[in-house]
Amino acid sequence: MTEVLRIENLHKSFGANHVLKGIDLVVEKGQAVVLIGASGSGKSTLLRCVNFLETPSDGRVWLDGTLVGHQSNGAMDYRESDLIPIRSHVGMVFQHFNLFPHMTARQNVMEGPRTVLRLSKAECIERGEKYLRKVGLAEKMDAYPSHLSGGQQQRVAIARALAMEPRLMLFDEATSALDPELVGEVLQTMKDLADEGMTMLIVTHELGFAYSVSDKILFLHQGLIHEQGTPDEILVRPSQTRTREFLRGHATFRLPDAEF
Amino acid sequence: MEHTWDFSSILASRDLLLVGLGNTIRLGVLCLVVGLTAGLFVGAARYSRNRLINWPATAFIEVFRNTPALVQIMWFFFAFPIISPFQIDAFTAATLGLSLNTTAFCAEVYRGGIQSIHKGQWEAAKAIGMSYSQQMRRIILPQAIARMIPAFMNRAVELMKMTSLASVIAFGELMHQAKAISTYNFNPIETYTVVALIFFIMIYPMAMVVQRVELHLRRSDQ
Ligand SMILES: Nc1ncnc2c1ncn2[C@@H]1O[C@H](COP(=O)(O)OP(=O)(O)OP(=O)(O)O)[C@@H](O)[C@H]1O
Ligand SMILES: [Mg+2]
Repeated sequence: MTEVLRIENLHKSFGANHVLKGIDLVVEKGQAVVLIGASGSGKSTLLRCVNFLETPSDGRVWLDGTLVGHQSNGAMDYRESDLIPIRSHVGMVFQHFNLFPHMTARQNVMEGPRTVLRLSKAECIERGEKYLRKVGLAEKMDAYPSHLSGGQQQRVAIARALAMEPRLMLFDEATSALDPELVGEVLQTMKDLADEGMTMLIVTHELGFAYSVSDKILFLHQGLIHEQGTPDEILVRPSQTRTREFLRGHATFRLPDAEF
Repeated sequence: MEHTWDFSSILASRDLLLVGLGNTIRLGVLCLVVGLTAGLFVGAARYSRNRLINWPATAFIEVFRNTPALVQIMWFFFAFPIISPFQIDAFTAATLGLSLNTTAFCAEVYRGGIQSIHKGQWEAAKAIGMSYSQQMRRIILPQAIARMIPAFMNRAVELMKMTSLASVIAFGELMHQAKAISTYNFNPIETYTVVALIFFIMIYPMAMVVQRVELHLRRSDQ
């Protein structure tokens, strides 16, 4: 197995607020790893340290076996010129989509290949169409984001990230801002990606989804990975009290085995 | 009081008025172009994290926004030549006053427009690997400028009106020409009426366009 992402002893503080207190994590090629944890536990911060939207306060990050940044006097030094190629190889999907509202779906998806990868016009158009088709939006290529439903917007955002042909995809609560009836289409798109072997690091509160797609689940608590294991180990037979409390909170109201 | 309107003397001095109109337009357009261009740089400077860049830009903006344009024009005409080695004619003084004033105004519009763009737009652009200048050029400015256009257009309208301030330093724009014509012909009623009309005919269509654009942008923002 090849490692796509390795994180060692990652710390992140915002002023006096010590959010991440030494995270170790490995994601192997083709794995889908899910991160769960209470609000404010640092899930987003951890994800954002992976593509360097936040600069880690301490620790090391390797992508595809290469250490990101330069070491100077034992600490890491991150230059924007080193981070840009990293970000172009790591896709990110945000809770609030963050599509570019002045561009059509197709232009949104073509923007990275065009501006960052500097591909030819024909290649950009090809990628735009390929990835919009992949997320099931062949019919909406020329629509502006404001004319799309939340679920469609999020799928365009996924296509936008995929068009960079990333080694790793990060999902930060990709369905939390959606109306309940639109959640399914986005989760399905994500599941299809996982089934195709995309390497993914996912923050989600959709535990059923986490159970069915993930190879490994991490429970983040007080800045540390409190418990980790297979979906069964974490979601069905958690060994730690904190993990159980967290899961109980998520499973207070449940349907009996319904037949839809 | 009875007044018999008589526009014949105005018709006779129409060349003087035309010169004035030309000067008004020249001054207004020049100050707008300078203000829009220089404002972008001053606005960017004010946005900078470097204090040596940020502080002078802030001081410039505050000074020019918080003193009357009339005072600025007078200062450049009467005070500036004394403390500097430059000879300054009325046109230059008026241009300096109004264009620096407009620069300060536009700088704030640029800054406000850019700050009005949600942080998620920067992040999304950054996350696909764009550099700062690519984020700015491709994602932020196109959205921000659309929001700035009404403010800039309103400024253009204001600026056309402000050109009349240059009459106090005897720059030959419309208002100054009118003063000359009315003193010479003893016809202030007709002269100033005509000048008011000229301004109205020039500015009203601009204001209408601004309204249209504002309405259009508000609709397309939804
Ligand atoms: N840019 C920032 N500046 C200061 N503090 C921050 C910043 N980003 C996050 N924090 C703080 O870091 C902590 C963890 O935030 P984070 O957003 O990572 O949590 P989370 O697990 O993603 O929560 P949620 O489930 O609500 O999204 C919080 O206390 C938050 O206030
Ligand atoms: Mg979060």
